[in-house]
Amino acid sequence: MAAMDRRHKETIKKIRLIMKDICDVVLSEKKMPSLDITKIGYDNTVWSEEKRMLTVGAKTVHISPDTTKKIPTFSQYIVMSNAVRKLLDEQMESTIRGMYYATLSTVGDEKNKQKFWTSQDASDDAIKAVELLTGVPREEFSVTSKPKGMISGPILLRVGGDIIDCNLGSRATSQLIPTNIMDVEIVDVKADFVMVVEKDTVLNNIRKSGFIQKYNAILMTGSGEPDRATRMMVKTLNEVWKKPVVVFADADPWGLGIALRYKIGSESLSYDSDRLVTPDAKVLGMMFSDIYDYNIPEVARLTASDEDLNRANDMKKKQWLKDKKWQKELNLFLKNKEKCELDAFFKHGFRYLAETYLPQKLRESGIL
Amino acid sequence: MDSSRTVQLGTSSVVQTKSKAKINFSRKAESEFFVDNSALAGFTGERILYMAIRELIENSLDSCEAERILPKIAVSLKLVDPLNDLWSISCEDNGIGIRSDKVSIAVCSFLTSGKYVELQQRGLFGVGLKMIAAFSTKDTDHPLKVWSKSVEETSEYYFELRTDIGTNKPIVLTRRDTKPKESIIKGKSGFRIEAVLRGRLSPVTKNKIYDYISQTSIVNPYAVISFSTDDGKITFDRRTNIMPEPAKEVLPHPADMDLKTLKKAIGNHALQKTTIQGILCNSFQKLSFDKAKEIIRNAGIEAKQADKYSEHELIKIVNICRQTKFQSPNVDHLSPIGERIFTVGMNTERAIFTRKENAISHDNLQPKISTREMKPTLTGYSSRACIINNRPTIVECGLAYGGNLSYFKLYRFANKIPLLYDEGSDVAREVISEVELNKMGVSKKQVKEQFSGLDSRSDRAIDLLPIHIFFHICSTKIPYKTAGKESIASEGELKKYMKACLSDLYRKVSKQIRHEMHLKDAENRLKLYKYYIPLIVDAISESIDVSAEDLTSSFLTLVDRHVKKEVSHPRSLKANAENHAVPEQHHNVRGQHKSSRSKKAYLVTKSSKSLKMKRVDSTQEKIENFMTSSEELG
Repeated sequence: MAAMDRRHKETIKKIRLIMKDICDVVLSEKKMPSLDITKIGYDNTVWSEEKRMLTVGAKTVHISPDTTKKIPTFSQYIVMSNAVRKLLDEQMESTIRGMYYATLSTVGDEKNKQKFWTSQDASDDAIKAVELLTGVPREEFSVTSKPKGMISGPILLRVGGDIIDCNLGSRATSQLIPTNIMDVEIVDVKADFVMVVEKDTVLNNIRKSGFIQKYNAILMTGSGEPDRATRMMVKTLNEVWKKPVVVFADADPWGLGIALRYKIGSESLSYDSDRLVTPDAKVLGMMFSDIYDYNIPEVARLTASDEDLNRANDMKKKQWLKDKKWQKELNLFLKNKEKCELDAFFKHGFRYLAETYLPQKLRESGIL
Repeated sequence: MDSSRTVQLGTSSVVQTKSKAKINFSRKAESEFFVDNSALAGFTGERILYMAIRELIENSLDSCEAERILPKIAVSLKLVDPLNDLWSISCEDNGIGIRSDKVSIAVCSFLTSGKYVELQQRGLFGVGLKMIAAFSTKDTDHPLKVWSKSVEETSEYYFELRTDIGTNKPIVLTRRDTKPKESIIKGKSGFRIEAVLRGRLSPVTKNKIYDYISQTSIVNPYAVISFSTDDGKITFDRRTNIMPEPAKEVLPHPADMDLKTLKKAIGNHALQKTTIQGILCNSFQKLSFDKAKEIIRNAGIEAKQADKYSEHELIKIVNICRQTKFQSPNVDHLSPIGERIFTVGMNTERAIFTRKENAISHDNLQPKISTREMKPTLTGYSSRACIINNRPTIVECGLAYGGNLSYFKLYRFANKIPLLYDEGSDVAREVISEVELNKMGVSKKQVKEQFSGLDSRSDRAIDLLPIHIFFHICSTKIPYKTAGKESIASEGELKKYMKACLSDLYRKVSKQIRHEMHLKDAENRLKLYKYYIPLIVDAISESIDVSAEDLTSSFLTLVDRHVKKEVSHPRSLKANAENHAVPEQHHNVRGQHKSSRSKKAYLVTKSSKSLKMKRVDSTQEKIENFMTSSEELG
């Protein structure tokens, strides 16, 4: 806890420094202040061969209240910085939605009233800006999101002072992965490997089948796009606890994209890849070729949309999907224009996915 | 039909028989036809009073313009009998008047007009005034009172008239010279009419009358028009003494010839026993004697006295003429408003406002209506001449922007008459939606960003701009969409020419509008600073120890200077937009940035000073060059 307090104090100090700089520029130099912030997005994301992950490039944006469009943005960043400072001073924690409400206000006079935030997206962006300005991830200043990642299996967590055993025995439920990851500590891991699936529905099915007990595995899901806590948990299990990580997602470009979040990172969080990405994770399925190898009946296949095809074409050009195996898979998809969800295996019976498909895939890759 | 009705019809004879299946053929007098089909002339229910005002004002303007008299028109509309919806309507002008022997038929007999000639006028059919007379006769027992002092006569005459609807003939109740003491018309000539009409005036129609008068004043800024109502009196003063060139009567163009016009031409020369060639070149424009001979030759008909040709032979001439190429028709018979007058009109536009009921309750002396002058910051004018429907047509387009204009408005005029109804189906509306705004050098997005706060009922960008667009079409045959003559159809290439005019204007005003928008942007930005600086200052002063007052005042001076600099050295809006995408280097390379900016400002500022300096430079260069070369020579 003492270490945490010190880190909080450092963050407060950093925020105060930013404020001070602005005052100096305005009061002494009499110039327009400007916040230099690393640019976020596809055009400032770089693939690092050495790290095997997406990293942030060198571009920065300058947010200065000098144009009509940037006056609100600049104000939002400053107001959010102050709100974070207050949160830390009061030793409280908040979700990103909480921060949105805490800073909610209107600007303008009676005639011309506007909302300070057009939506929560704007306040989320401002929180990101504070992360970038201070170089401190938001978990460290106690701003979290609503938990949605889930975990099941022989792993013992300590959250704050409470011990949480994720091996609940009853097969009936999973544990939510806490988002205040700074308060979470992994106490013990008895599993042999970690299996991450795209959706919670699939995780529930596998858990119910007794997979965890039979193969001594940890099951995890990010319920779609994984949040930071889930990604960090996966990384820790792989790199600190040396457990192999395998990822299963739907056989469509969207699913593949989610699987790659764990393995290489994402454009919107490329500045934080070092904390979030697990380069050694193995994306095992569901492959496009599995649709045909496992005889998914035509009725359970879906027709690819134009958006899917465009995405696949884009992916084909990416450096991290350049090896023959992935090129072959993507070409197969582009040729047949068919996609498939993991749930489609239920067509072969409710236990088929957990008792036939997954073990076979795991054996092929040498995990089992 | 009862017998008294039969008697009333006069010229027509309706024989009533008992047998059922017999059709009676009868003839109707023009007056009766128009009264029964009053919609043809626009006199329907609600619109009677509006149409009456319109017809009277248009007649007065035509009458003045015929002799280039600067018009002075006084119109009044007053409720005399609320129980029976009776209104007294009057109109007085200083036009050429009507000769005393023609007054009664000119006022009462339908289809009698001095305007059946090929030249642009407001009224054409000789129906409007008669309609007022007929309706007055039909609905009331009041006679029409007319005072006329014609330019051709010396004294003023007074008439009391009614129309015999059954025969289309006037009934003259009184006709007398007015004694000089009693005379009403003060000038050299003029005309005054007073009538009582039955009608209802809804608030909508009332506003249409106001619109009609204020818009008429836009295109006739050389006229004094006053309008008295029960709500008060408003006067549109004369803002210029320039009048448009009056339209001249012209001969018909041969490409537009048909059997009727040809026979009429021959009839006009019946007594002179001339040849058909002679008649052709005397009766049509752009037709020389040689050309006429060529046409007769091509028609393959023998030479004889003009009135001896059969219709079969004449139609050959018509057909040849329609195939032959002639010079384009002349446009002397058109009277466009012209740039000078149009510009005066646009700059002195006045809208009529009606004060709310509750506002007057405690002060009855105050008139209920008043006018407000529109002062745009800039105006533009453009015109094109073209041929539509074989008739020469002139398109004039005007544009007013900014100032105290606060909304978008389209004004449509045909032969100087405002068109007030059916705007949605008018070709002008199509033209406006089809000409891209970016011809003005601004994008829809910019417009929406800057003006969406004003009145955003519409999502069309143009509707957000404080801009008034004026279209005036003049032609002897306006392609109206409907018989009501309230909207113009997209006939032939009319739309193309209108679009060309509007595009011209957009380009013409683009620089100024961008500057205007820049000022507007600066204004918006100052407002934004006013809103946001307290937020910034609060956030900072909560976090660190700094005087909020000092910070606020420093910030305010800073932004004030910043905005002023922007306004005096406007980066073009386009460059501004690029700046959003690729933000300039601000903080890091402050020194560099500063120098590059000042350079930019220098390049953009086209102040006369810098231009002059340049010129001096080049002269100096020349002198130097000259000196060096002469030195070499020496």
